[in-house]
Formats: sequence, structure tokens, C-alpha cells
Amino acid sequence: MIGAATLLIFVAVAHRYLVTIPIFYPYLFPIDLSWAQELCIYMFVWMAKFGAAYGVRTGIHVGVDVLINVVNPKVRKATILFGLLCGALFTAVIGTMGAKFVYGLSATDQVTPDMELPSWIVYLAIPLGSYLMCFRFLQVAYTFARHGHLPHHDHGQVEGIDEPHMPGTASEAAEAVR
Amino acid sequence: MSSLIIFALLIALMLTGMPISIALGLTVLTYVFTLTHVPIESVALKLFTGIENFEIMAIPFFILAGNFLTHGGVARRMINFATSLVGHWYGGLGLAAVMACALFAAVSGSSPATVIAIGSIMLPAMVKQGFPKRFGAGVIATSGALGILIPPSIVMVVYAVATGGSIALDPSGHRVSSASVGQLFIAGVIPGIMLASLLGFTTFYRAWKNDYPRLPKATWKERWTAFRNCIWGLLLIVLVLGGIYSGAFTPTEAAAVSAVYAFVIAVFVYRDMSIKDVPRVLLGSANMSAMILYIVTNAVLFSFLMANENIPQLIANWMSTAGVNWIWFLLVVNVLLLLAGNVMEATSIVLIMAPILFPVAVKLGIHPVHLGVLMVVNMEVGMCHPPVGLNLYVASGIAKMGITELTVAVMPWLLTMLAFLGLVTYVPEISLWLPRMLGML
Amino acid sequence: QSPIVIKFSHVVAPNTPKGMAADKFKELAEKYTGGKVKVEVYPNSQLYKDKEELEALQLGAVQMLAPSISKFGPIGVREFEVFDLPYILPNLDALRKVTNGPIGEKLFKLLEPKGIIGLAYWDNGFKEMSANKKLIAPEDYKGLKFRIQSSKVLDAQFRALGAIPQVMAFSEVYQALQTGVVDGQENTPSNMYTQKMHEVQKYTTLTNHGYIGYAVIVNKAFWEGLPADIRTELNKAMKEATELNNSQSAKENQDALNAMKASGKTELITLTKDQDAAMRKAMAPVYNEVGNRVGKALIEEFVKTSGGGPN
Ligand code: NA
Ligand code: NA
Repeated sequence: MIGAATLLIFVAVAHRYLVTIPIFYPYLFPIDLSWAQELCIYMFVWMAKFGAAYGVRTGIHVGVDVLINVVNPKVRKATILFGLLCGALFTAVIGTMGAKFVYGLSATDQVTPDMELPSWIVYLAIPLGSYLMCFRFLQVAYTFARHGHLPHHDHGQVEGIDEPHMPGTASEAAEAVR
Repeated sequence: MSSLIIFALLIALMLTGMPISIALGLTVLTYVFTLTHVPIESVALKLFTGIENFEIMAIPFFILAGNFLTHGGVARRMINFATSLVGHWYGGLGLAAVMACALFAAVSGSSPATVIAIGSIMLPAMVKQGFPKRFGAGVIATSGALGILIPPSIVMVVYAVATGGSIALDPSGHRVSSASVGQLFIAGVIPGIMLASLLGFTTFYRAWKNDYPRLPKATWKERWTAFRNCIWGLLLIVLVLGGIYSGAFTPTEAAAVSAVYAFVIAVFVYRDMSIKDVPRVLLGSANMSAMILYIVTNAVLFSFLMANENIPQLIANWMSTAGVNWIWFLLVVNVLLLLAGNVMEATSIVLIMAPILFPVAVKLGIHPVHLGVLMVVNMEVGMCHPPVGLNLYVASGIAKMGITELTVAVMPWLLTMLAFLGLVTYVPEISLWLPRMLGML
Repeated sequence: QSPIVIKFSHVVAPNTPKGMAADKFKELAEKYTGGKVKVEVYPNSQLYKDKEELEALQLGAVQMLAPSISKFGPIGVREFEVFDLPYILPNLDALRKVTNGPIGEKLFKLLEPKGIIGLAYWDNGFKEMSANKKLIAPEDYKGLKFRIQSSKVLDAQFRALGAIPQVMAFSEVYQALQTGVVDGQENTPSNMYTQKMHEVQKYTTLTNHGYIGYAVIVNKAFWEGLPADIRTELNKAMKEATELNNSQSAKENQDALNAMKASGKTELITLTKDQDAAMRKAMAPVYNEVGNRVGKALIEEFVKTSGGGPN
């Protein structure tokens, strides 16, 4: 999704520049890419809603854990469970509000401004994403209550960096100036 | 009164360690259900429209570009280039690390990513050269913070988004529009270079005092080779900044273009990454973006609640009748942000604080761009000190050092940053001169 | 007994014609109803942005709005796009004939199934073209990038001229013109002047080819739930507010033109009759292109009443 959206905007920008070059004008002018931005936004909205649910499973959502890390383990466990259940509650409420909203919209002819897609389909991301997120919160809470295990994302780690091969490049770096 | 309840609730929920996004959302819901007659429908509406904003889309694009760059061999070539230029001075590799961080910061929008990209190569090299580990870790953890000050910067995008569309009136009652991403990026250039120089100077001074090793001087030919090798990375700086300044791209388009560009140089030009790695990078970037966008959605709700209750205006009016001037106000802002930096990470702080501080600051005659740069420098400081400091965590991971030890290690540079914060706070021209010269204000 | 509250949200500053008229409506409505109605005006998108406000009204989160007429497409009433057609309104008199006559009423009727009632049409004014290049013949537009507000009709209009339309928020236009992201734009003189567009556009051609207007609308359920005598008073207040808006916008457009001329930063070009005819001819295909969208019968009726149209 993120890759497609990137390409889409890149193509739209490239199109905007190339079309002003006279030799390309006749070929590119008939292509109308005014919907690109809107599509990109909706792709990201969908990505964000479902990605947020995925993020619950990978533990990527950051919180303020300074305080709960210093209290005694029993209190800590209870607090974390409370937090997870709050997450489930919030997403359930939002999911329901979203579902109502989408249901209301589906009765209208509301469409998006550029692509003229029915709005309710676009907005379906909210209830679906929220309910999925709610499910994930409950899942994580259950696992935590049973096994005391919590998913944790190491924010210090940028995806895809392989540390082992770095020392090799490091000596290269030092050598480069010898 | 209502503002106190909102904040008390928010802080209480956050301290339980639940995700900040959830704490924000629950605060809004509780408040809406119990204390106000904001129609609940408008909350639903804001949930949908909160991130329907093309500017926000710069965030995932910059994250993606940053991830391609981080393991696309760009960092390594920048390090070589920096080393060939300044390696023979006092502080040698340390100085090169500061410069490499500054260069990498100019293509990446995130600080921790800068620490990783430069630190994971530079730190082992410095230790091997005979630098004390704590010196190396101190340099990297603090210089990496340049990632959000030197454009592009995800935190600046977040600031622009968080303040965009809010109503702010200057001392004479005229409406002041919020700072655009482009203005903020250009405004970050001079402070970024200044802070890089200051950090470099601290490095130089400490290395000179302790007589740390220097490297042999590189020849001009070696420098030229190193320059040519990293030219593709350096061109990205021109592409992003030049593109935004000249108006060739909007910041979001620049971010998308730089993601494509970073992909191409990582996979086809430098070939330090294979096509096989691409899905993993995409997934990682999407995961991180989704997390940030989710906070943004809920923060938009929260700032809608604030605006609806007129809280920033109330604070602004109270401040101006109490005779608080901009000097005192900014002092309070700094203390507040530094405190917040103890417990939260940068994006959340800016999303929560900026919409509140912005109207107040404008009312006191502070320029939106100045406030933005000031907040970013604050966030940089916050990243480098415990208990919550992303850069520290990252550096500790690379250096295999404990946080406490590292906290002592970063001290000299952290003090430099604090001094610089004072300078940026009280000399607005540092932030405003360049964009004004370029006719962007 | 507590008063009936009308939340009136709009997206412009209080000191614009629309903002002033909204405030005037508040003042008169509260006066005529003897305080039984309280109007809260939220300017500057304080509560809802351009994109959100119609949905907010339909949900009943606000009671009154004054959106741009061309915003009704996305809620399923594309007929209002007829106002965007080039050269369909020759002058203000023609406009009044349309909006005060059966067409204006018919268009408002189309909003009712969407839970909306139209109360009044408010002017912004007639649009001019501007660019850094002299825009006289249709060929001059070829290959230039023009900023438009999101509208299929306006998109078709610039495509008919061979220009490349770019949808962009109003607040971003100045910067985009200055840096060359777009080459030109179309707007009313007062919009151009308040955004300082004339400082970054060397030429402004006084084409008066299109019209920008607003519709004051209310939530249907809310409106029909009001006592009849209150509605009468509110309509009276609205009538006076409308007059204020229209006279004020006419004055501001004239003042803006004079100020732009005096500034010397943009050259104002008036087209000859032949040049004007050439422009009309070049844009005529738009009528066919969007005919099915907007409704051919409506366009015909509109043209008949206004005396405008492509010819
Ligand atoms: Na940066
Ligand atoms: Na910190």
C-alpha cells in the first residue's frame, strides 16, 4: 500500500512536469491524474486504520511507561491490563460510532469529490479497522493475563538494518582515508 | 475548570502506560459524553476527516525514504566523505561523525534513524581507533538529534499539521496563519548548521583536551573520490530542499519523490540492498507510519475538543491580562517541553502541545515559524536524556552501554544543546532570517 | 425558557462580505425574535473545515452554513454545478433572475431529500483569469497549469482550453503562484486582492467568465421543528443579511479591481468583442461534456432564463 501510494504520487508529479514539455504534451494531456491525491489519501487512511490494529499485535504503540516500570509487579500487571482493556473499550466505542456513521452515509448518495466513489465505502475503514483493533487489544490482554507476555517493539531498531555486517563497513570507513 | 479536568484525565490515563493515542481518544470521549454538549456525531466526523489531509501524507513518505536510505549504503558513503574532510583534525572520527550526522539529517526526517544509520558504522570504528566508548556514544546520540532540525523533518511536518487551521490572532488582533511545512524546513537550515557546528566544536574541544587520536590527512584526490561516491545521497538534499523552495514540489510530493529516489539509489545504484529486502522495508515503514497516523487522528480529536472549549484563547487572554510577555512565556514553554520530554516522545508532545501553545504564542507576538523551530530544538534535547530518550536507547543498543552510563556520557553535548536552545529561544532571527531572505514569510 | 440556539459555521474571516452578513443575520435574528433565538457564529473554519461542514450539518452538529454552491456535488446534488459553467451568467441581473426565480427554488428543492433546506443565495462575484503570461486568445492557455477548486465543470473548462487544471486549497494559491507550481488561476477580484495574488501575476484578464456564489442552508429537521412565526422572523433577517452580503461583495470586488490597478503590479486586460467571442467558442464544448452530469434540461432552462450560454 505504502509503495503503491508512493509510486502514484511520483507518477502524478512526473506527469505534471512532463506535460508542460511541448513534445510530451499531446500524449500526456489527455491523461487526467487529478484523482491521484485523493486516492493516495484514502490508501493511507486504510493503511493507518489496519496498520494500527497490526501495531497492537507488534506492540508498536508508544505509551508513557516511566511510572508503571517502577511500581511493584502486581500493581504493574493490573495497570497494564487496565490500559489494554481501555484500548479495547475505546476502539469498540469508535468502531460502533463509525459503523453507525457509515450506515447513515450508505443511505445517502454521498460521494468523494474527485473520484466520486461512494463515501460510505471509503469510510468503512473506520469501523472495520477499529473492531479489528479492539479484537487485537483483547487478544493481547488475554495473553498477558495468562502468560504475562507483552508484545514489545524496539523503537531503537529501524526495520531492515543488519547489525552484524556493520563492523565490516566500519573498518572500511576508517580505512577510506588511509 | 473544564480545561483542568481535561488535562487531569489525560495525564492520569497516560501514566497508566496505555498507548498515548488511546489516552487521547478516551479523554475526548469521556469529556464529550459527560461534560459538554458537543454533539457526539461531530466526534465521529472528525475521526474520519482527521487525517484526510495531503500534508500529513508526508510522514509515511519520509519514513519510507528514511528506511531506504538507512540501509541503502548512503550513510556509509556520507561517513567516508565526512571523514576525508575533517578526520585529520582533533577529534578526527568524532568530528566526522558530527558532520556525517548533519549530512544524513539532511536526507532523513528522523533522529533515531540518523543515530542508527551513522552510529552503527561510526561507533565501532571510533572504538577501534582508540576513542573511549562513552565519547563516541555521546557524540552520536546527540548529533543524531540533528535529524529533526535539519530538514526534512517529520516533527516539523507534525507541527505544521497540528497547528494548521487553528485560529490565532496577533497582538493587534489580526489573524495569523500557521507555519507551512516548506517555511519550517527552510527555517531549520541555519539553526541546524549552527547546532552541528556547536556540537562539532564541543567534540573538537574535548578531543583536544584529552588528546584523542587523529587520522592522517586525506589527499584532495581521496576527498574527491569520497565526494563522488556519495553524490547520489547529496543530490537528494538538493532535490528535497531545492524542490520545496523553488516550488517544484509541495512537501508531500517532495517526500514521495525522495522515497522513490531513495529506493532507486539503494537498490539500483549502490546495490547495498536487494529487491528481496524491499517488502520488509515497506512493511516496517507502514507499521511505523500507521502508529504515528493513529496518534495524529486522536490528537486531532483532542485539539478539536480544545478549540471547541476555547481553551487556547482563554489561556492567551489570561496571559496577556496577567502581563506575561513573550520572554517569560517562552521560558515557561521551554520548561514545560523539557519536562514533557522526560516522559513522552517527540511526535506526541508536539501533537498535544502545539495546538495549545500556538494561539497563545501568536497572541504574544511570537512568529509561528520561530515557535516551531523552538519546539523542534526542545524535542532534540528531550531525545537525548532519560528516562525517555529515543536517541539514548538507540545509542545504548549500538554501544552496548547502560542508559545511566550513557547519560553521563552525553552531558557535554547535552549542555551545548541546552545553551543552543536558549539562543534559539531568544534570538528569533536565527530561525526567521533565511526564510525571510528567500521571501517565504 | 432557554433560547433556541443556531450554530452558524463558515470558513472565512469575519470581515469578509460573507462573515459580515453572517454577523448581521445574528444581530437581526436575535432582535426580530426578541431573544427567542440565539445565533452563534463560528467563522474561520473554527468548528468544521470546508470538507466536513456539509456532513456536520446533515448530522445536526451545526444548524446553518453558507458553503460554496459548487460543494453540493459530493452530497449527490450535481445540478448546482450548472453555476460553474463558463459564460452561463452574463451579469448580476441575469443571476438574480435565476436565483430569485423558479430555477433557484427548484435547485433548493433538490437539497431537501438530503436533509437540507436552502434559504438564500449569497454572491461572491464574477471570476477573472490571471497568469504571468498575457491571456487573450484561447491558445494562450495551452499547456499552462491553472489552479481550480475541486469541480468537474471547472476541470473540463480548463481542459477545453488545453490548460492543465490543478486542484488546490485556496490558502495555498499565493505560494503556488509565486513559486510556479501553477501558472495561473481564476477568481473574483476581491479573492485575488485579499490573497495578494495580483502581486505574483503579471496579467489579469477581465473575462467575467464564471460566477462564485454561496448558498445559505439549514438542517431540515431543525428548521421544520421551529415555530412558524420564528421562521418568518428568521427569513426576514436572512433577507436583509443577503442584501448586505450582495452589496458588500459588489463593493469589495470593485474596490479590489481599483486597488489592483493602482498597485501597478498586474496589468488588467479587457477583451474586445471578438476576443470574448473566441473564448466563448473555445469553452462551448464544456456544455456538452458535462451535460449528462448536470442535466441537459436544466442547462437549457438556465440559459433561457439568464440569457447567457456559450453563444
Ligand atoms: Na532531517
Ligand atoms: Na527525554
